[in-house]
Amino acid sequence: MQRRDFLRIAAALAGLPLLSGCRQVLGWGLPIEVLRPGMAAGHRLRDASALPPPRGTRRVDTVIVGSGVAGLFAGWRLAREGYRDFVLLNGPEPDGNAAGGAFGEWRYPTGAHYLPLPSPESVHVRELLAEMGVIEAGGDSLRPTFDERVLVHAPDERLWRDGQWQDGLLPRGLGADDDAQQRRFLLHVKQLQQQHGADGRRVFTVPTALASTDPAWRALDQQSFAAWLAAHGYTAPGLLWYLDYCCRDDYGSTLAHTSAWAGLHYFAARGGQAANAEDGAVLTWPDGLNPLLRHMRVRIGAERQLPGAAWRIRQQGRQVQVDYIDTGGAQRLLARRVIVATPLHVAWHLLLPLAGLGFQRAHLPPRAPWLVGNVLLDRFPKEPETSPLAWDNVVYGSASLGYVVATHQLIRAALPERTVFTTYHAFAEADPAARRQWLAAASADDLFAQAMQDLYTVYGARLRRHLLAARLTVRAHAMASPQPGFLANAGLAALRAVDGPILFAHADLSGLSLFEEAAWWGDVAARRVLG
Amino acid sequence: MRDRLLILSVFVVASCGLAYELIAGALASYLLGDSVLQFSSIIGCYLFAMGVGSHLSQYVKDERVLDTFIEIELLVALLGGLSASTLFAVFAWSGESFRLTLYALVFLTGAMVGMEIPLVMRALNQRQQRFAELVSRVLTFDYLGALAVSLLFPIVLAPRLGLARSALLFGLSNVAVALWTCRVFRGELLRPTLQYLRSLLVLLVLGGGFIAADELTQWNEKAIYGDDVIHAETTPYQRLVLTRWKGDLRLYINGNLQFSSRDEHRYHEALVHPVLGALPWARRVLILGGGDGLAAREVLKYRNVQHITLVDLDPAMTGLFARSAPLTALNGGSLRNPRLRVVNDDAARWLEHNGEVFDAIIVDFPDPSSFALGKLYSVPMYRLLSRHLADNGLVVVQSTSPYHAPRSYWSINATLQAAGLATTPYHAYVPSFGEWGFILAAHHPGYTPPQAYRVPLTFLDREATRQMFFFPPDMRPWRVAPNQLNDQRLVHYFEQDWSQVIR
Repeated sequence: MQRRDFLRIAAALAGLPLLSGCRQVLGWGLPIEVLRPGMAAGHRLRDASALPPPRGTRRVDTVIVGSGVAGLFAGWRLAREGYRDFVLLNGPEPDGNAAGGAFGEWRYPTGAHYLPLPSPESVHVRELLAEMGVIEAGGDSLRPTFDERVLVHAPDERLWRDGQWQDGLLPRGLGADDDAQQRRFLLHVKQLQQQHGADGRRVFTVPTALASTDPAWRALDQQSFAAWLAAHGYTAPGLLWYLDYCCRDDYGSTLAHTSAWAGLHYFAARGGQAANAEDGAVLTWPDGLNPLLRHMRVRIGAERQLPGAAWRIRQQGRQVQVDYIDTGGAQRLLARRVIVATPLHVAWHLLLPLAGLGFQRAHLPPRAPWLVGNVLLDRFPKEPETSPLAWDNVVYGSASLGYVVATHQLIRAALPERTVFTTYHAFAEADPAARRQWLAAASADDLFAQAMQDLYTVYGARLRRHLLAARLTVRAHAMASPQPGFLANAGLAALRAVDGPILFAHADLSGLSLFEEAAWWGDVAARRVLG
Repeated sequence: MRDRLLILSVFVVASCGLAYELIAGALASYLLGDSVLQFSSIIGCYLFAMGVGSHLSQYVKDERVLDTFIEIELLVALLGGLSASTLFAVFAWSGESFRLTLYALVFLTGAMVGMEIPLVMRALNQRQQRFAELVSRVLTFDYLGALAVSLLFPIVLAPRLGLARSALLFGLSNVAVALWTCRVFRGELLRPTLQYLRSLLVLLVLGGGFIAADELTQWNEKAIYGDDVIHAETTPYQRLVLTRWKGDLRLYINGNLQFSSRDEHRYHEALVHPVLGALPWARRVLILGGGDGLAAREVLKYRNVQHITLVDLDPAMTGLFARSAPLTALNGGSLRNPRLRVVNDDAARWLEHNGEVFDAIIVDFPDPSSFALGKLYSVPMYRLLSRHLADNGLVVVQSTSPYHAPRSYWSINATLQAAGLATTPYHAYVPSFGEWGFILAAHHPGYTPPQAYRVPLTFLDREATRQMFFFPPDMRPWRVAPNQLNDQRLVHYFEQDWSQVIR
């Protein structure tokens, strides 16, 4: 490898994700910044082979590779248990899908933006929230008391249909049949919340690892959610649109490509409750889930977080060798245990051979690309008097996922003089590989048009006049989609069970991209290290 | 010489023509909003009308060209010069015919202006000017005039003179053109004396208007507010209008009455003295809202108070009440008192970012009429407030009306309690508001109202204070829920309460 190549790789890998961003100014003077976190580094890892010999070697008991939710949760658990001898490699995509950003003082999410009230089984998440003070009391009760500032403030959701807003996301006024089917579906999933399998466990839980393994219920995974709905007489267009929206929002896949088990899981598994909020309430911060990660980083300690990205992980007898690159060059860590907290398609290139652990290339879960747009506005757009701006605003019939308002949770005597709207789009509808190629090559203008789709529908193109800046985050491999059969993925089962010098921690192990799942596998890995 | 004068007229006439267009556009965007729509439609209407005017100019007989020119100038002077004042008046007195009047005025002015240039060109043509040169000179000055005004209007005239006076000034320029045309071309006019007299008459009308423009505008705002408007200002945050009628000074913010100088002493004494009268040791006081300095005036009566921090968002508001003579007479110059510090920041944001602790906190926020304002009456907000309150200090919160808005009032009480504070509700009758409510809160229970006051008061004495803390049977507490941010019941309560009050 040429030295120049090396420097390029080093720069790309060494925690400098902004280098992959490009800036463009649209004709009418709006600066648009496109970020493709991890792309350059990931593609070099995929394409390149050799690395110069490491300049230094450091011994440490445990290395965590990756700083998304799973990696940070593993580090948080280790630190909380008083375990000190570990380091965490940040990687090229710090904070993963829970990253955030800011336009000056205005923070916004560039990934996930809310956390449902934790289910009774999500003890690990409750522990974190209690330590942060988000759970104020009753952390081990069915209904804890949450910090109101973090519970989504009213009005929380509204739906744009036929040029008007309605409260909530379930479309209303589409006819008696639609209303009746909606009620029947909600009742149906409410019953499923309490459904137990033959092994006595709940059928649908978060984390999924604690769910019943009763094959009678697992058989749901053999069909698509669309097929299941049709078989149960759910045909009303309003209901189907809503369910499709939910699948795209949580899984990045349409009804036809979502496992029926996963589709029902969305509605039946959460069941988190609060003493001071309605069932089904959610927690949010201006920059999405990022404050949870900031808290975990503080607990871990800055001295244990290394900039730089892993390049190769090899097991050498009873110890593991992690080669990584930072701005100083190639480095080596020798560890007793390594927690690989990267997405599995990254692990596939880092860790040779993964096949030796029972995981084949075909076991890699299909991944959905996402586009997250953040626009800074010089004022709040005009809203109809009867339906004020909500936190989450969705357009009925749109292929996009609407927008959330980053300043919604602020308490102010007057409206803030600026605000940030965050738009989401999951590319669920088409072949993901083709979509990724389009995303890699798309101009800032094209991406911007895609990101603005719902905002233009609601406010018209005149909204442009109020835009001060736009930042678009392309996450081409954003999340694993739970397609039919995902529960039977033998490669994932093998990695979940691994308890050797190398451990795995990522939401990919569940096949669902949820904070609770990622945190669960981080927790499991940390507990295996702690013994 | 005469021809040059005609060319100069072209310059003036072109300036005036564009000016009327700009004034109509600015006025419409100011009063109706959506400036792009207003400007586009007005310019379109105006240009079309000019076309109509040009077309009509062919029917003027050759021998009448100069006479007609003068008549047109006088008409334009009247229509254009009085356009802004007329439109203001129409908006104030009969809002619904505003658009019709606006476009009629724009069309008529446009049509008149459209006749001017063709007439001047014909006048010059009759004087054997070479056609190529003639067209070139007339149009050059036409466009130069347009340039001059397009710069002068937004930079100098509109900000210095205002719209009404700018329009009158351009009207006077049109009259000037008419007058010198009368003078210079006296011999060529059919009826020189009549034109002269007409010009003088129009001059008189517009000159009078120019002098009386301020009174005219005030008279119009008075139609909106019912009283004399002594100050009106649109700040980035709100529209402030101050009115006076027979010694009653009133402040309106966005059209809502904030106080009347007749009875504001009742409101502010009730707001301040139950707290300060019970804290003879209080040194540091925080006032949130209250940019009028009236609560501060009451607090400053206590010599033991060494330092007041007043947080109000709008520097225009605190500036006005620190400088304007009638207002400083009302608040006793409280905002310029060395014991008081004004902080222009969002009160909630300021509380989040500061750690100072106060012996007394006076909260005078707007009513919870929207989801954004409702958040100011929430448990997290009151917890934040209590972190700024000394252990034995007191807070008082303006809490809407326990009579007209009982759900809201008692919900605020429940919210303060949910934030862990011990509350004492009370109320006072303020004629311009009706029965108004306050809630006093502290870290520990055991508050007792003052038996006497050490400072001079107009409204409160021992008996009046006792009555404030007594709730008659028709104002008994309601059992309502505290305001939580995730459901904002208070905003619904407030809506419910006031929808049942017939006003």
